[in-house]
Amino acid sequence: MNFFRGVMGGQAAGPQPSGAETIQKLCDRVASSTLLEDRRDAVRALKSLSKKYRMEVGTQAMEHLINILQTDRSDSEILGYALDTLYNLICNDEEEEQDESEDEAMQKQSDDLGAQFTEQFIQDPEHITLILSLLEEFDFHVRWPGVKLLTALLKNQGVQVQGIILVSPMGVSRLMDLLADSREVIRNDGLLLLQQLTKSNAAIQKIVAFESAFERLLDIITEEGSSDGGIVVEDCLLLLLNLLKNNSSNQNFFKEGSYIQRMKPWFEVGDDNSGWSAQKVTNLHLMLQLVRVMVSPVNSPGASASCQKSMYQCGLLQQLCTILMATGVPADILTETINTVSEVIRGSQVNQDYFASVNAPSNPPRPAIVVLLMSMVNERQPFVLRCAVLYCFQCFLYKNQKGQGEIVATLLPSTIDANSISAGQLLCGGLFSADSLSNWCASVALAHALQDNLTQKEQLLRVQLATSLGKPPVSLLQQCTNILSQGSKVQTRVGLLMLLCTWINNCPIAVTHFLHNQENVPFLTAQISENLGEDERLVQGLCALLLGICIFYNDNSLENYTKDKLKQLIEKRIGKENFVEKLGFITKHELYSRAAQKPQPVFLSPEQMLFDHEFTKLVKELEGVITKAVHKSSEDEKKEEDVKKTLEQHDNIVMQYKDLIREQDAQIQELKEQVATMTSQSEQMQTTVTQQLSQIQQHKDQYNIIKLKLGKDSQSQANSQADSQVNGLQTEELSQLREDLEELRQQHTLLQTQLSDKDALINTLRSETAEGSAASDNTEMLKELDALRSQVHSQATEIDQMKTERQELLRKAEAVSSEAVSSSDGSLDAAKMAEVESRLAAQTSETERLKEESKSLSKSRVDLDQQLAAATSTAAILQTEKAQLQTEVQESKKEQDDLLMLLADQDQKIHSLKLKLKALGEPVDDEDDLDARDQTDDDEEDDDEDED
Amino acid sequence: MAYAYLFKYIIIGDTGVGKSCLLLQFTDKRFQPVHDLTIGVEFGARMITIDGKQIKLQIWDTAGQESFRSITRSYYRGAAGALLVYDITRRDTFNHLTTWLEDARQHSNSNMVIMLIGNKSDLESRREVKKEEGEAFAREHGLIFMETSAKTASNVEEAFINTAKEIYEKIQEGVFDINNEANGIKIGPQHPTTNSTLSGNQGGQQAGGGCC
Repeated sequence: MNFFRGVMGGQAAGPQPSGAETIQKLCDRVASSTLLEDRRDAVRALKSLSKKYRMEVGTQAMEHLINILQTDRSDSEILGYALDTLYNLICNDEEEEQDESEDEAMQKQSDDLGAQFTEQFIQDPEHITLILSLLEEFDFHVRWPGVKLLTALLKNQGVQVQGIILVSPMGVSRLMDLLADSREVIRNDGLLLLQQLTKSNAAIQKIVAFESAFERLLDIITEEGSSDGGIVVEDCLLLLLNLLKNNSSNQNFFKEGSYIQRMKPWFEVGDDNSGWSAQKVTNLHLMLQLVRVMVSPVNSPGASASCQKSMYQCGLLQQLCTILMATGVPADILTETINTVSEVIRGSQVNQDYFASVNAPSNPPRPAIVVLLMSMVNERQPFVLRCAVLYCFQCFLYKNQKGQGEIVATLLPSTIDANSISAGQLLCGGLFSADSLSNWCASVALAHALQDNLTQKEQLLRVQLATSLGKPPVSLLQQCTNILSQGSKVQTRVGLLMLLCTWINNCPIAVTHFLHNQENVPFLTAQISENLGEDERLVQGLCALLLGICIFYNDNSLENYTKDKLKQLIEKRIGKENFVEKLGFITKHELYSRAAQKPQPVFLSPEQMLFDHEFTKLVKELEGVITKAVHKSSEDEKKEEDVKKTLEQHDNIVMQYKDLIREQDAQIQELKEQVATMTSQSEQMQTTVTQQLSQIQQHKDQYNIIKLKLGKDSQSQANSQADSQVNGLQTEELSQLREDLEELRQQHTLLQTQLSDKDALINTLRSETAEGSAASDNTEMLKELDALRSQVHSQATEIDQMKTERQELLRKAEAVSSEAVSSSDGSLDAAKMAEVESRLAAQTSETERLKEESKSLSKSRVDLDQQLAAATSTAAILQTEKAQLQTEVQESKKEQDDLLMLLADQDQKIHSLKLKLKALGEPVDDEDDLDARDQTDDDEEDDDEDED
Repeated sequence: MAYAYLFKYIIIGDTGVGKSCLLLQFTDKRFQPVHDLTIGVEFGARMITIDGKQIKLQIWDTAGQESFRSITRSYYRGAAGALLVYDITRRDTFNHLTTWLEDARQHSNSNMVIMLIGNKSDLESRREVKKEEGEAFAREHGLIFMETSAKTASNVEEAFINTAKEIYEKIQEGVFDINNEANGIKIGPQHPTTNSTLSGNQGGQQAGGGCC
């Protein structure tokens, strides 16, 4: 504190130490003092000296101050002083008060100082990051000077500081948080900081928008009272403009976020515009600009179109039109509103239609367009307002054929309404008024009514004007050329020439009309060929363009002014080179490129009002082709003509081929139809065939049933039945045959089994006879054999019978099939025939196969017969053997009987002897008792086994 | 258009994986075979319906190039959902996923829903990354996964809508603080007070939808 007092006191008394010395001492103190209070006081002293000794403090103390920011983070007071000091060093604005006394050189010097210190400060990007981190401090004494310092840094070295903030993590987001600060000062200065931050840096603009800037700013604007709000509203609007201008991504976000709808209330200014403060005018002006940014002609057409649509849908356009027709609106607001409405309706049919329907609240109500045009051709209206009206009219007609038609219609004899002022009347009035500005505006306005619209160009040729009393009416075209030749002001002539060029461009009828006036071509050639002064050059160029169009869009209907004749005229009177040079005067004009930039007519002064944007497009389009057309000699022309002719010939050939192709196409079509009918026919036939087939099947079934019924009684009956069948008989018979065959086969197998049975029987007999036991009944077997044989025989005859039957049937089938063919419907086509034939062939082959089968069967039957014969012979042999054996058996039986008799006798004897012995008392073993005892033993054993 | 919720999305991933094409397909339903490199970020928006509720999606499509990484990082914090995209025909774009994910986790709020997307699924013949690999990566890191084709529009709708569904579920569970706009979620303007007499009918419908 002593030191500090010394410094302060020293200034008052004693030898004054130089500022530099004092600052050096303070810097040492800041750097070396261990006491926070000392350092704080020193920094405060530096702050107080920083304005007066800006240079010294800046050069000596900057580093120390930065050090303080890094090391003394805990003390917000010292941080505040340090930031304030740095702000004083870097900021250039504070000098304003001194500006009055000091000259510009001083101001420049201070600017240099600010830039120098800024550069020094941002040499280390960490310093910016440091400031950003300090902004996190809530303390007012830190945050506020921090915001101001960063704003100043951005002002001085915007690009570099933006770059550093962009790459520091969450840098932009942190700065966005300033808008949420409850302390208005910080929020407002935060707005200024963000304005600087977002200046021409799309990446930062997008991040700021991402951080909900639109929402916040629109909220603030509403809170502050919209257009009635103060400078904060203005700052918010400026920031919004920064974010949206030339930033399609943010514009899209703005539109998608439904923020356009939130702009509408801004323009609800009502009619009681008693107070139009300067701030309100500024705010409204910015608001209108914001609307224009969204629908600017430089935006992509799609983006603008969707914004225009939502501006109509939310009522914003309607609101703007209310301002347009309101009274007491300041001229510059009115002008900007007209410009805004222009761009909101430009190229949007719905919006243009709405605009055409707007009426001014006058009595009787007049269309807004008429009211605006009245201002355009009124000399007393401000120049910018007249330009705005012209722009509005142009935008209304841009890509609006309907609107163009309506405007031209007001000039046509049939639709003229004498009682009220029409747009056409006003335009004609402007065209021929004494005011060159009105002439120019009316010419350009009328040209826009003809832009890219052939119909209206032709319609306008019908317009006749009543001049002075007693003279015949003059056509509008004629009147234009008349005024042109009268040598009025450059502006008037330029306007009229642009109108004429637009009018006759791409319209041969208008060219003919123009050339029909004998005075026009001589006038143009005279204008072009003359060596006139600097200010006439543009008129010369436009005359050359007009003549060029007369050549290019000439249909050679006027004998005196055919393409060739006009070209010869140029060659003789003007000279090709000269003509092209004069033509080039248009694009070489200093104001040409300016007008080519954007559609809005903006001129620094009324005298500069020479070019129209749409017309510059026309010039660009025509300059080349006219130069080419003029340079082409008549020989070239002829060659071209020849080429054209050959091309035409080619075209003719192509046309011929095309006709041929067309013809063939028709033929193909015809044939296709035929094919279609044929296929449908064949389909029908197919169905009849299937129907018939099913019929056949039915018949077959019926036949089968009948045959089954009758078959039992007599086969011949079935045959006769079969004879009566007409359709599909052969198949039926075939199936019959098949069945027969099947039957035969079954019989055959039956026979075979019987045979094998018999074989087995014979075998058993053989074995029986071999054993010689139990004589078998040979006679029976023989009988059986006989029966079998007769059976076989009968079966063979049966088979024979069947064979013959089958043969017969086959024959019949053939006969029937031929009959079927002959009886087949005449309508049946060859396909069906072929089908039937193929089926027949298949069936015959099948019958063939069946025949073979039956043949083999008969063969096997013969075999069987032979086998049977063999079996019978063996049976005969066996019979004789059997007979022998029987006799032997008889004999042995006899012997046996004898022996039995003997045995019985002896038994008798034994029995009698036993009885005798018993009677004599001799014990005799009874054999029978013994036998019985054995029997019981066996039973017991069985029981034992069961138990196990 | 009135909406019940507004979600902010970002689309991240290596350059050339088809981020801008995915967005274009989602917002404009068209495919642009040759797309300029994205500079910084581009904005797109669309309305979708989930659970009968209108949800507005605001999507910031970021540049994949390394030089824009510091800029695109600024968008992580305020986003509720992220589509992390790789190209199934370029393995390196899959290999870089870890870096992207670390970056996203570091700079975003912890509840951000991340959808992993394997784009260009129409180029099956040139595939370098198997679907299973994508699935495994997603499982490992707790992401939702889908393969899409911005060209054929396959799964594009689903990718954006499923992400929204996940966020919506998190809201229902109370995970997200919907009053903090920094989370990338905003409640629609008509949401809290639909009982007003003027829009009574519509309000009733809205309330009915809310019950479900």
